[in-house]
Amino acid sequence: MRLLAIAIRNVGRYWQRSLITTLAMAFAGFIMILFAALMQGMVETSEHNVVAMNLGEVQIHARGYRDDPDIYKRIHDPAALIARLQKAGFHAAPRLYAFGLAAAGTASAGVQLHGIDPVLQPTVTEINRHLLSGQWLSPDDGHGIVIGRKLARTLGVHPGSEVVFLGQAADGSIANDLYRVRGVLKSVSEQIDRAGIYMSASAFRTLMRLPTGAHEIAVMRADRSLGLAEATRKVAALARGYETRNWRQLMPTIANLIDIMDNQILIMTLITYIAVATIILNAILMSVFERIREFGIMKAIGVMPWQVASLIYTETLLQVSVAGLLALGGGWLAGNYYERHGIDLSKLADSASFGGIAIDPVWHAHVTPHVLATPLLMLIGVAAIAAIYPALKAAMIRPIEAIHYR
Amino acid sequence: MIRLAWRNLWRNRRRTLITAFSIGFGVLLAVTFTGTGDYAYTNMIDAGASMGYGHVTIEPVGYNRTPTLDKRIGDSAALRADALSQPDVRDAIVRILGQGMFATASNSIGGSFLGVDPASETPAWSLLLRSLVRGNMLRDRDGSGVIIGSKMADHLNLDLGKKLVYTTTDASGEIVSEAARVRGIFHTGINEVDNAFVMLPIDRLRHVLGYRKGEATMVAIMLRDQRRTRRVRDALQHRIGTSVAVLDWRQTQPDLAGIINIDRSSNYISQLLIGLLIAAGILNTLLMSVLERTREFGIMMAVGMSPGQLFRLIMTESFWLACIGLLMGTVITAPWYWYLATYGIDFSGSIGHDYSAGGVLIDPVFHIRLFAESIVAILAGLFTLAILAGLYPAWRAGRIPPVESLKAL
Repeated sequence: MRLLAIAIRNVGRYWQRSLITTLAMAFAGFIMILFAALMQGMVETSEHNVVAMNLGEVQIHARGYRDDPDIYKRIHDPAALIARLQKAGFHAAPRLYAFGLAAAGTASAGVQLHGIDPVLQPTVTEINRHLLSGQWLSPDDGHGIVIGRKLARTLGVHPGSEVVFLGQAADGSIANDLYRVRGVLKSVSEQIDRAGIYMSASAFRTLMRLPTGAHEIAVMRADRSLGLAEATRKVAALARGYETRNWRQLMPTIANLIDIMDNQILIMTLITYIAVATIILNAILMSVFERIREFGIMKAIGVMPWQVASLIYTETLLQVSVAGLLALGGGWLAGNYYERHGIDLSKLADSASFGGIAIDPVWHAHVTPHVLATPLLMLIGVAAIAAIYPALKAAMIRPIEAIHYR
Repeated sequence: MIRLAWRNLWRNRRRTLITAFSIGFGVLLAVTFTGTGDYAYTNMIDAGASMGYGHVTIEPVGYNRTPTLDKRIGDSAALRADALSQPDVRDAIVRILGQGMFATASNSIGGSFLGVDPASETPAWSLLLRSLVRGNMLRDRDGSGVIIGSKMADHLNLDLGKKLVYTTTDASGEIVSEAARVRGIFHTGINEVDNAFVMLPIDRLRHVLGYRKGEATMVAIMLRDQRRTRRVRDALQHRIGTSVAVLDWRQTQPDLAGIINIDRSSNYISQLLIGLLIAAGILNTLLMSVLERTREFGIMMAVGMSPGQLFRLIMTESFWLACIGLLMGTVITAPWYWYLATYGIDFSGSIGHDYSAGGVLIDPVFHIRLFAESIVAILAGLFTLAILAGLYPAWRAGRIPPVESLKAL
């Protein structure tokens, strides 16, 4: 207890220096917490865009469909499989895919058709709520489509416009019909933004002459506590004879993204903290050299070296604690602020993508315990390392030399 | 006074060296950050330019907004000659770019086609040509060949010599189809390119689309140095007039520009942040050394030194500190820079070989390169920072009243 009292007094002696040191630490800690929260937010948004907007957590395909997406490679009885999945506690929805040419006026573009079930689809993905303009498909709409945002620009269409689709139907005939744009999507992925057209599964079946089957079944866990790997195994057991993959296996880039960002946070934090460490080192070293006579006297009257060292450490720890509290409070507040309001990147970038995933133009942070703890613990660690040399210096002082110092 | 400041600085050698080290560390970081940017952005921009549009593009007015095939430039040869007359232009290539559907008996897929003159395309200016893995480049302008991406070949079950039918809308908006034979297959590693791009001979395509001779979508202009982009664009627009649009890569490839903008801003913010911390370190050092020497300053003022002179003394100290720091920075940065510029750090283990951003493949080997103007900016920036950090301590030193300061301690 006496140690703490002495330490507090010592810190207060040159309050300007202590203040600058503490504030520099607090500032660095604060920025790192905010940075980590923003990165966390970005990872989660990309993950969300991939999983909840498009892929679903687990997908089932006919064997070989993923390598060679042939319109004939289908899941033969999707309704029965979906019923089994729903009974086992999963949400599931069928999907159909085909490629073709979309034309509006003099513009045309190669497109990918997504045939979805307007009733089951919202249980699996949230894409129906991800609209830039217009509305999502209604269940009884035989000629409505919702299209990707870049595609809308290429074709020069908006909700209400007409689009002609031209493709090759499953029976080899020409698939050709006129559709009306109901809505335009926000950024989802490079592929969907550039070439995605959604229509109801029934409209798709009529157009492509494909009365039965589905190319894909997207599955979402109803019970979030079930692990992804476990869920994948359960789905695979229900879908024997088909290929079952979860989103991590389907999109390894995104799964990797999380590791890449974690490394980036670590490197950034380390770099910033080295700059902080030189400030801490300098400040403590100065305070040790100023007090060299004092330490000499302390040693002379019988204070042990480890006691001197722990005094220096207590002083350092005191400043780090204050800095840490400030950083924690500030980082938490700022992180929460940006979690709610987001940073508008649309001025910087109209659209941007990383590894084929669209980046949301409004960047939200996300504060998690991990985001708060890592920068804080590292700050304490850095301070402890920076204090080693000054503490040793003070502890090893020989009383006679110290008293005659300068 | 300069010598006095120099001597003062070395009275506390350890402190000065630690502070100088933190400035030096700042140099190292600024060089790393800026150098990665200079290198990576140039690489991305050049790679993006070789995907079709070039650094600068001459194209029909309105094509950028809605790229339809009825929009075309009339006399592409004359426009090409205009472009080549500019000093910074390496090459100018006439191309047709459009959207279409590609089909075989078994399947169909949507994508983009690039109409090219085989004689004017070189691997250096064409990513697709550079990435050719099987077969050969198209031979003549009016042939029936086509070059496709590896992913499209998989999807459509195509191989060299097999037939592909492409369908699109022609100059008058009618739907037209034509068959072509696969002559070559490229693999860029970017999914969106490998499954969606094909190269067709330009004269055959003109025939299919109902274009007259010389009509095309664009003249893609390749520059010696991407930093000249804006200058060339403005000069060309001025020369040609407004009958056609002259755009730069930022406008034709907004995705790439977006990624670079975001990355550059976060880069600046990190550098500013580290700069602030370094400034705090310098401030702390100088302020302490001022507070320590209260008595000394008191005596100096008592013997007739003015507050202004004291202010200048401390500012000179911070000037020397900055100089030592920058020198130290140069010494520790040089080997690091040399290593990164020559060998680089290989990140392919963590990001893989086919990681793309803004539609352009990212080099997994981390390299560095500094433009001359960046070096000047870094040195000037850190120097200014050091001088700014000296202001408060210097002002403090001048404010010490002589009598009280002598009483202190």
